Parts: sequence; C-alpha cells; structure tokens
Amino acid sequence: MIGSTLITVGRSLGVTLKQIFRGTVTEQYPEYKRPVYPRFRGRHRLNLHENGLEKCVGCSLCAAACPVDCIRVVAAENSADNRVSAGERYARIYEINLSRCIFCGYCELACPFDAITLGNDYELSEYSRSDLIYTKEMLLADPIKRTPVADAALYDTPTPYYRTDS
Amino acid sequence: MSAPELVGGSAADRERIAHELVTVTIDGRQVQVPKGTGLVEAAAAAGVEIPVFCYEPRVGAGIGACRMCLVEIEGMPKLQTGCTTPVTDGMVVHTAGTSEQAAAGQSATMEFLLLNHPLDCPVCDKGGECALQDLSFRYGSGKTRMTFRKRSLEKPIPISPTIALDRERCIMCFRCTRFSQEVAQDEELSAVNRGALSMIATFEDEPYRGPFSGNVTELCPVGALTSTQYRFKARPWEYEQAASVCGLCPVGCNVAVQSREGRVQRVLSRNHPEVDRGWLCDKGRFSYSHLYSEERILTPRRRGVRELEELGWEQALDELEGMIERAQGEVVLALSGSETLELAYALAKIVRQGAGSDRVVLPEQAADALDPFRVPISALAEAEEIVVFEECPVLDRAPLIELWLKQARRNGAHVTRIGPSGDIQRGRGEAALACQELAEKESALGKRLRAAERAILLWSGGGGAGGCHLAALAHALGLHEKEGSGALLLPASPNARGVAEAWAAAGDENRQPRQIGLLVVSGDEAASEPQVRQLAEHARATVALTLFAGDSGEWADLVLPATGYLERSGTMRNLEGRLQRLRGATGSPARRELSWLAELAGRLGVDLPGSEAALFTELSAKVLDGISLASLGDRAPLPPRVEAQTFEAARAESPPTLLGGPLELIRYRALFSGPEVEHVPELSFQRPAAEVEISPEDADRRGISGGNEVVVRSNGTRVTLRARINAALLPGMVRVAAEHCAELARGVEVSRP
Ligand code: SF4
Ligand code: SF4
Ligand code: SF4
Ligand code: SF4
Ligand code: FES
Repeated sequence: MIGSTLITVGRSLGVTLKQIFRGTVTEQYPEYKRPVYPRFRGRHRLNLHENGLEKCVGCSLCAAACPVDCIRVVAAENSADNRVSAGERYARIYEINLSRCIFCGYCELACPFDAITLGNDYELSEYSRSDLIYTKEMLLADPIKRTPVADAALYDTPTPYYRTDS
Repeated sequence: MSAPELVGGSAADRERIAHELVTVTIDGRQVQVPKGTGLVEAAAAAGVEIPVFCYEPRVGAGIGACRMCLVEIEGMPKLQTGCTTPVTDGMVVHTAGTSEQAAAGQSATMEFLLLNHPLDCPVCDKGGECALQDLSFRYGSGKTRMTFRKRSLEKPIPISPTIALDRERCIMCFRCTRFSQEVAQDEELSAVNRGALSMIATFEDEPYRGPFSGNVTELCPVGALTSTQYRFKARPWEYEQAASVCGLCPVGCNVAVQSREGRVQRVLSRNHPEVDRGWLCDKGRFSYSHLYSEERILTPRRRGVRELEELGWEQALDELEGMIERAQGEVVLALSGSETLELAYALAKIVRQGAGSDRVVLPEQAADALDPFRVPISALAEAEEIVVFEECPVLDRAPLIELWLKQARRNGAHVTRIGPSGDIQRGRGEAALACQELAEKESALGKRLRAAERAILLWSGGGGAGGCHLAALAHALGLHEKEGSGALLLPASPNARGVAEAWAAAGDENRQPRQIGLLVVSGDEAASEPQVRQLAEHARATVALTLFAGDSGEWADLVLPATGYLERSGTMRNLEGRLQRLRGATGSPARRELSWLAELAGRLGVDLPGSEAALFTELSAKVLDGISLASLGDRAPLPPRVEAQTFEAARAESPPTLLGGPLELIRYRALFSGPEVEHVPELSFQRPAAEVEISPEDADRRGISGGNEVVVRSNGTRVTLRARINAALLPGMVRVAAEHCAELARGVEVSRP
C-alpha cells in the first residue's frame, strides 16, 4: 500500500524535475506580438477606390448576411456636389457593432464591391461598450498597423485577392 | 385553389363558362378547372409553377410580351406562352420542369431579358423583392456569355415628382402602360420606338399626372419604375410591416405600412379583393411623409401673449381640466370623421360623462338607412346599371370608386351620372329630387334600373339625409331583393359613420348647452371647416387636437398634438359599412391621445381604459353587437345586410335661393388636398390649381375665355383665379377648390378684372 503511494509520488516528482530543465514557452505579450495567420479575421475596414471614392454603395447586403445583425447601413443618393461613392447610392451611415461581431467574415463574402473586408487587428478592447460601435469614419481610416502577419508563403491555403493588400 | 380570374366578356358569359369543367394534364398531373381558365392558373391549381413577368390579370388578359411562360403543349409544333393560352379539354402540357424544349426556350428568354439589363441590383430599390432577380436565380444559367458593352441610357428619369424611371432596367413587360391605358385610363404612359430601342415614356416628357400613377411602381416587376420618396430608404428585408387601412378617404383601402428604424418608409397595397383589388390612389400611397413634416407639432401649445408657447403635458392637462371646469357643462365637441372609433369614443366619453355636456358637431349626417342595400364595392365591376348622384366628383371623395366605375364600364355596365357636370345635368341640391323622379314608374332610367339584374346606386355629395333619399329610391326599385344590387353613400370623411356610432355609444342623454363654454376640436379637417371656425369665435375657450397648428393655431387657446392615422391603432367603418382595423406602424413622436385622455378621464372621474382593445370591447358591447376584434381579421368581412323596412322618406326640398350673386359656387374638397397632402412637397404638383371652372355659356356672356384671369366676388370677398371652361358644367354654376375659395359665399359673380 505504502509502496505504491511512494511510486506515484516519485513519478510525479520526476515530471516536475523534467520540466525544470526545459526552456520557457511564455510569450511576452503585448511587448511581443506573435504573427497571425494570413487569413486571420479581425477588425473590419471599408475600402476606397483609387480615385478616393468609397467602394461601398450602401446596398445593405453585408447587413443581410450578418448572422448577428450587427451592421447598420442607411443609404442616401449621390448628387453632383456630394459624390461619395461611384454608384447612384452611398452609405450615409455605416456602423458595425464590434461587441456583437463574431468575425465570421460573411459580410466580406456578401459585399459585391469588396468594400468591406476584415483586417488582422484583434486588439479591440474598450472601457465602454458604446465605443465598440465603429462608425464609417473609423472603418474608413487607415488601420493602425499593430498586428504582424505571418508570411502567406508558409501556408498552402491561398489568401483571397481582396485580403492580400492588408 | 382560389377562383381563377376570368378576364373580358360580359358577366353572364363568364358565369356560364365558369360552370363547365375541363380536364388538363400538366407535367403529368391531372386537374379539372373551369373552361376558359388560363394555363398559368390551371398549372397553379395543379401545383406547378409557370414563371411570369408580364402576365398580371388585374391589368387585362395576357399579351405574351416577355415569353417567360413558354411551355410545350402536345400537338402544337412550337412552344406556347402559357399566359395567353386558355386550357381546353384534354390538353397535355409540359412545363420547363419536364420538357427539355420548354426549358431551353425559357433559359433563352432569360438570357435575352438580361441582354441589356444593367444588373445593378446593389443600388436598385427593387433588389430583394425583384421578380427578375428571383426568376434569374431560379431559372437563369448563372453564367453570362455577354462580353460586349450593354446599352446605357440616362437614368433615373423623374417621370413625375413621385416616380423615377430607369429605362436600362425595363424588361418591356407593358404592365405599366397597360395599367395606364386600361385600368386608370389616363393614357399617360406609353411605349415609344421599336425593337431593342423601345422604351417607356410619358407624352412629350410631361410629368405623369394622374390620381393613380403610383400603382405602376408596385406593378413593375423590376426596378424600372420606383418611388422617389422611397428611394434608397430601406431594403425589403429591413422593414417592419403593419397590416393597416388607409385613413384618408371612406374607401378604406387595405395597406401594408412598412417602416424602418421607427419611420414609415412606404405604403403598399395589401389587396382586399372586395375593396381595392390591390390598387391605391396616390394620396394614400404618398402622403405618409406628412408625419415627418417640420411643421408638425409634437408638444402641447397654449396661446401666450403674442403667439403660441410650448408647455409640458402635465401643465397642458391642468389647463384642459381647468377649461372643462370653467365651462360648467357647456362643452361642444367637433369631430372630423378621421378619428378611429376608439378615439372618437374616448373623446365622447370625456365630453358626455366627464364634462356633462351632450353637444357634438359631426362631420356629416350618418344613418343606417342604406344597410339593407349593402354591397361590396367590388360588386360595381359586375353591375349592369350604375347611377351616380354626383354632386361632388366621385374621384375627389372616394378615388378608388372611380377606378371601379371604369372597370364596370369596361365590363359593359351603363354608368349614368346625375349632377352639375353629369350625363343628366342637375343643379346642386337637386339630387334628392332626381332620386324621387327615378323612383317614379314612368322614368326611363328607373325602368332600366328595375329591369337590370344587378343595379347599384351611388350618392356622392351632401344633403342626402344620411342616405335616406337614396334608401327610399333603392327600396322603390327593390334593390334589397336582388343579389349584386345595392346602394352606397360616399361620405366626405373617412369614418363619418364610425364617429357617429362612437358618439352615440358614449351616452344617450340630450343636454344641449345654450352657450359654448369650451369647444373641443378634434382633427385638422374639423379645424379647417368654416363652420367650426365660426363656432370657435363664439366659444369662451377652444382646444384643438391637430397634427399641424396652421388652422387651429389661429384661434385655439390650447393646441394638443395629434397622432397620424398611420400611427394609430383602432377601427374605422368604411363606406360599405365594413369595420376594418388600423394597426399603428410606428410609435408616434407625439404622445398617444388615448394615453393622455385616460389620464384626463381619471382626473374627471370617468372610467376610460387606455388601450384600443379595451375601448373596442366596451364599444362593441354597446353598439357593435358584441363582435370581437379578432373576427375582423386582416381582410375584414362585410357585415350581412339587414332586413329592409318600409319607411317614410324625407321629402326632398328644392335648394334654397341664392344670395350674393347670380352664379352658384360649388366649393369642393379636391382629392389632393387636406392637411396630409399639404405637407407633402412631392404631391404639390397634383394639388388643385387656382382655377374657377365655368360653363361655356356663362363664360361667353361675360366675355371670358379659358385661361383668363377673373375675379370671383361675393359679399365683399374677392378672389382672383384663372378661368377654365368646363363644357360639361351646368350653366349657372362655377366650381372652385375649397382651398382657393377663401370666405366666398354660395352666390358669386365672376367677371374680368
Ligand atoms: S464578420 Fe460576421 S458577425 Fe462580424 S459584421 Fe461581418 S458578418 Fe457580421
Ligand atoms: S459594404 Fe458592401 S455589402 Fe455592405 S453596404 Fe457597402 S457595398 Fe453593400
Ligand atoms: S430590377 Fe431587379 S434584377 Fe434589375 S437591378 Fe433591380 S433588383 Fe436587380
Ligand atoms: S417600366 Fe416596368 S412595368 Fe413598365 S414595361 Fe418596363 S419593366 Fe414593365
Ligand atoms: S408571362 Fe407570358 S409572355 Fe410574359
């Protein structure tokens, strides 16, 4: 009885001793950021055409595709003196509630104009929930490049064309 | 299967045909359908879908324009269009589901339809509810062989301030032109050019001006005709929908009110086949934006030293309570007839039970005299003889009835109009006399009416003693004994009958105050009535419940914000006597009337529930034979006819003699007028022009020709208007829209300035 207990204790001590001589695996986040997988889905971006017009035409297809209903689009009509997008209509209001978003990427798939794409940033904490509602201006702004991305060549799954520029 | 619609032919023909059944086989399924049924309906009865674009039985028989409905029929060498082929006995049909030839034909059609189609679904308002999207998704190839540039045209073209046309998207199904030419018969839309260059256009690019134009935006299967008000407002999957009833005229068209983010975005038809058959007038369709007019008042206002000043609800109710107390039972309630039964009942209860007064100003006289002659509006389409006592144009009072009259005429009915500009010209106030003449045995028209199997009488105008004159005639003609015959009164206000009932339900005493201590005016229509305005001058205090402070703001001591009919829940009684439910589409930016009325009732010690449903139950127990709200359903049934009684008809009197001038002024409320329309900028092009209509004789005598500027005068009031010669108008009469009448009296003189 006592013998078997001693053997068990001895075995577990052995495990502990073995681990003492192994190297550390702790990563010093946030000082060190591990590169994310190239197709990692993080905070969204709204994209512009080269001529500066918004790609988004306010069609609400992304909102329709979103499984958690966290996108709100209110469209309006472009006019000669207020041309925002290339088509007849544009998104007057475009909001994503990132506290509800599950980063599924359906919005990106639904968009007929590659206007909304998911970037790589995942550091989205805020002190207030309402700050997690990203407005059009925030989504249009250049992403704060904080997240390193792993080299796509290391992986055999292709990155979609609309994600390669992120 | 619902009864298939048979188009064309006389009513008798259709009846005979409907009894013969034929057997057809569609995709291996056998069905028996009445002879003459179209192939599309027969297939639907067999549970097989034949896709269509241009086919729409409500605008007439199939024309085979789009070729989407191609099917193979055994024994016929080529593919046939299902929408133009009536079934015959023993016909064997293969649709695209079972026939390769038909499938190939259909997919070629689809490809042709998309040949020049821009496929700009993401910016297209129809996207999400588009027949072309749906059918290309299900029947299209999914791949395109078109590598060339598509046709591109100027777009969108505003064909009227309310409708935008995108010619690139048009698939040339001719639904809109057929509606314009065959249903509304306004001949405004037509197709110009030929072949690939054909397109829809209005005459010389003039705006599409017609009371029913908006229907084309709902008929168009693609996004070629869209509403400018709804432009880019919402997607079909984003709105909430309320199954309500239009509260702007006594027809009570069934509408679907669609709102997004708490705002009404559009009003569509909900097709009650007995009432509106899926059509709406432009007033009902486009007026909703009055709710968001800047001029709408949202808080109570009190007459201050110089102008109206805002105050809180608590204060307003204090003020109102004080007013009622000071009036000491001398309270008069003026109703518009646009209230729901529940609202009118709540107001009546406060006045009758809380303020201890029993005097009311009803919008017009209402009676149940016509109940034995009740018919659904749709019976007009089947009638053989229709007589309209038309002192006010039917179009202005109940626009949809005009559409049904057109349909009746197309179906072969005789429509006789009796009135100042009718087929039989009678002066104003002579309709009751005309009624008596028709009832006499030797009248030729009377004889025709007696001989007809289905005859309907309509009364459009005042002075009908709540329908009693018409009821006497209908009784004399025996219309209560014939199915499909009847008589209808077109009231001037949407719920005239309902508010009278509600008033009666709230008390049965008769305490008439000698003076007016407090005048309670409900609704903008009542506030703009000259008669109510006069009462207000005699009243010690006035309170008005209105959407806008335009009229009431001039004389009311307290103005309380009202809610609009699209925000209200409740019931209304339409001109047939059908009780229909309104369901509020959105909350109201102003406090709900019933909420503060209940609070006020509490202060006055009156027991008044604050919910529509509870009020209805109370009302129903008192005056509606205990019917339940649920029994009204989404498409309300017509109450059965009541037993006809013989009664002594009121004697028709000749109209009083004119004072003030030799010409009689007919002041009419035009269709596109009223508080709602006045606050919709898109509808201003439809509003009545500042014109006076005059007969050619009277114009000649005064040296006036069409387009001249003339002065209309009576008792010191002068109004300058443009003359329009109306050859159909009885000499001695002139017509002016109420909004251009100012204070003109009944007798006027017209002269060149
Ligand atoms: S990623 Fe998914 S959940 Fe997030 S906004 Fe897009 S569709 Fe919605
Ligand atoms: S982001 Fe794309 S899908 Fe969403 S509204 Fe804009 S264009 Fe449409
Ligand atoms: S009409 Fe239909 S198919 Fe054409 S662009 Fe509009 S939604 Fe798309
Ligand atoms: S505008 Fe619309 S309804 Fe008219 S023909 Fe073109 S597609 Fe048909
Ligand atoms: S539906 Fe038959 S041809 Fe258009």
